[in-house]
Amino acid sequence: MDCKQIRGLVSELWGGELSAEAQEHVSKCAGCEVFLRDARLVRAGFRALAEEAAPEASLGFASRVVRRLQGWEEKAARGEFFEAVGRRFIYATLALTLALLLSMVLPTSGPVRGVGSADFLGLQADSQSLQPDVIGGDIGDSHELYTGRLPD
Amino acid sequence: MAISESEITREIECIQRVQQGDGEAFGLLVERYQQRIFSIVFHLVRRRDEVEDLAQEIFFKAFRAIRSYNFQSSFATWLSRIAVNHCYDYLRKVRASRLSYYSEMTEESSRELERKLESPEAGGLDHGEKITLRDFVGRLLARAPEDDRVILTLKELEDFSVEEIAELLKLKSSTVKVRLHRARKRMLGDLERWRQEG
Repeated sequence: MDCKQIRGLVSELWGGELSAEAQEHVSKCAGCEVFLRDARLVRAGFRALAEEAAPEASLGFASRVVRRLQGWEEKAARGEFFEAVGRRFIYATLALTLALLLSMVLPTSGPVRGVGSADFLGLQADSQSLQPDVIGGDIGDSHELYTGRLPD
Repeated sequence: MAISESEITREIECIQRVQQGDGEAFGLLVERYQQRIFSIVFHLVRRRDEVEDLAQEIFFKAFRAIRSYNFQSSFATWLSRIAVNHCYDYLRKVRASRLSYYSEMTEESSRELERKLESPEAGGLDHGEKITLRDFVGRLLARAPEDDRVILTLKELEDFSVEEIAELLKLKSSTVKVRLHRARKRMLGDLERWRQEG
């Protein structure tokens, strides 16, 4: 058996009893002897570590966990509520903005939109300039106010 | 942890209540398993001051995930898996500080360790010797890669069988055996290098 095999065996047996053949190699090889001793020492160290008791949960640990969980759930529920309200507010704002933008982009007259809608959006002045003159016919006709006396 | 059939039935009912959102029922599960989780966390992390906080985080995670628990493995195994994964993440985060902890080892304790290494098999160790040995293996564990640390801790400190570790880590038993063997070999190799450097 060579050193590599011995080390594999020692790791597998974790410092436990070796076969006679392996033992013979170890007795002649200083490196493997140290390796075996280390394995036994580490195993003993693990046993000592395992004996070390874990800290006890402090009094009321379970109640504290539950209380914190309940607090966390309430907080999460509040968060969800505000998130839902906030989301609706954002949607409403976006819808209004979109409506406003559309109203500015779309033509203010024509088959889709007439005088009424233009008035509604406060564009009365602009739209009036484009409307046909309802008193005197075509756009551009002038109408002077007669201030003199009428002939008898 | 061997439990009777009636206890199992009660535990199942309790879990089902928690799955329906009953926080108080979860308190019963915490009480039942808190010491098991404290032990796993302590042996994996080896920091007494961190154990309670980590255990609390583990129970929070378990509560959030409990609806996904389908009773295929025991609740103890399912909960232990969450604990091991949580500690694994923690160990990865504190990797840097663990390395510095090792390098801060005093010359005095190194000499003490060297003396212990020259001793025969540590059978009848006194209290002081046990502490030295514990400190020494604790430091070796702290140096080990997270995977090795987890598997060695579960086997050597928590005394889980290969089959239990396989179920916990969702691995085949043969894979656990191979990993365990490699972890031990790496740890001994690391010790050998450490002694040569010293």
